[in-house]
Amino acid sequence: MSHWQRIKSVIGSVLLLLMIPILLFMPQEQGISLVAFVLSLLLIAYGVRVTWFYFRMARHMVGGKMMLCQGILLLDIGLFSVSVITTSKVVVLGYLLAVFAFSGGIDILRALEAKRYGAPSWKLKLISGCVTIAAAAAIGIAGFCFGSPELAVYGYCVSLLYLAVVRLIAAFRKTAVIYIA
Amino acid sequence: MNPDFHYYATYCAAILAGFSHDESMALCYSDQLVDLCSATLLTKIKGPLSAATTQLQLELMDARTDMIGLQNITRIWASFHFLPYDLAAEPPKRCSKRYRSKYRLICQPNSELLERTVRLAKDKGMQAAGIAMHILADTWAHRNFAGTPSLVINNSNRYFYELFPDGDGYTEKKLTFRHSASAPDDLERSIYTSSLSVTSENSIMNLGHGRVGHLPDYCFIRYKYLPAWGGYEELVKDNPADYHNAFCQMIYAMKYLRGVNETFERGHYDTEAAAPYEQELQEILNRRQLDASADWKALGEKLSGHEIEPFDLERYQAEYMNAGEDEKDGTFLGRFIRAAMAQKSMVTTAIHQSGNKLAGYSVEYDKGRRRGIKDYRVLLRREKEERS
Repeated sequence: MSHWQRIKSVIGSVLLLLMIPILLFMPQEQGISLVAFVLSLLLIAYGVRVTWFYFRMARHMVGGKMMLCQGILLLDIGLFSVSVITTSKVVVLGYLLAVFAFSGGIDILRALEAKRYGAPSWKLKLISGCVTIAAAAAIGIAGFCFGSPELAVYGYCVSLLYLAVVRLIAAFRKTAVIYIA
Repeated sequence: MNPDFHYYATYCAAILAGFSHDESMALCYSDQLVDLCSATLLTKIKGPLSAATTQLQLELMDARTDMIGLQNITRIWASFHFLPYDLAAEPPKRCSKRYRSKYRLICQPNSELLERTVRLAKDKGMQAAGIAMHILADTWAHRNFAGTPSLVINNSNRYFYELFPDGDGYTEKKLTFRHSASAPDDLERSIYTSSLSVTSENSIMNLGHGRVGHLPDYCFIRYKYLPAWGGYEELVKDNPADYHNAFCQMIYAMKYLRGVNETFERGHYDTEAAAPYEQELQEILNRRQLDASADWKALGEKLSGHEIEPFDLERYQAEYMNAGEDEKDGTFLGRFIRAAMAQKSMVTTAIHQSGNKLAGYSVEYDKGRRRGIKDYRVLLRREKEERS
């Protein structure tokens, strides 16, 4: 990781940590909507950035179409997110959990890829992915099956704290670089 | 390329070009020093940091990838390890200026910049000659990659096959990459270490040939793959043939530097001087081993009749550090530093003049407005002094 990437990772962790007091201390409906809105905006911005990169650079690259697919998918999820914010609290919470579980799924896929390539970082990624999915499932069961949205919000806050800590650890880990002679 | 070629093979080529043992030692020492003269080393000996010819692993990990940081990286890697082939090259399809700038830094042998590099080293001592030979050899080993971080140029995908000679053709074996930097490459199973896949365009993981690991550094290997910039056209890399060309071109270039050849022209190779040792050369170049130093050393000692001392990074450091300010330029490392700065300035100027901002500004080009790096003004002052 370069200095800039580490700084970005730390900023991401701080943003995740900031969401916790918003969820805990603001009126529940507003808090959840605000968090969902911020996440949606971030997704849209990232989707636009990746799509722009495809048209400017990656369309000439072997395998570059993957960048286009990635950009469109992110943009689509982001726009969809904005559209569900105004619906009921249960739907928004369900959506937040789905995004949360999705990020866990991505972590597992990245871990399997890293393992295939022999990168030592795969274990941390796999644990992180499994914990994320398990937490999303537990929160979902608590919130929807037992009818306790408060419990779901608390669980979601714990998960955000966990994600922030993992990002912070990743920001300060050493990264191997191949030396070019 | 590894020390086996930059140090021992360069010594062999220097002897075949007619240099004495001592001259050849100074030349191959300077050649190998290009891979070690980092900002860390220059800080230790209190030399100018802008003379850095490489970046160490930890320096790369901490390198900034904003515009200024990228320009510093590009000045170093494009000037000494990935000499651009055509600064006016046009990609096959219409593209953005940013893509074009990176595409134009792709390294290939026999470039106009190579000609200028070798001519720049003429009559500048063995240190300048060593630097020029390093760059020349790397144009063969590092061809098809650019000396700037770039996903869209330096990346590769999983289509990678090692080729083994079999009768008149080749048999193929799927080649696997892993990212464990501490594990040695496994030649038996064709498992090689490469840098991590990072989809950020300017990630340091996408610098030069990092994404294909050390494959370009091994003289024995042949492989085929799809370079990121190549529009899905399969590219076959034949390292034994490329390294042979590099060796013969070095002899030709060094004969020019000695004054035996009147000119240095692109596409010329002194195969005649290498012919008596062709069988030994082919054996070394085709032997599957991670380090061919022992083989090249044996050949070099056979050619000169002298023992080739192992490379010692500290050999000339005390001389430089103990010299007075006015005497530093006359020391071994002083001459190396001056030659390195001249080379970096020449390449930076050429890249800048082509309208490409990836290597930053050059004082030589932009002296009126006094932009650029202060250290290089020394070069301009000395040039004026030499003229007057």
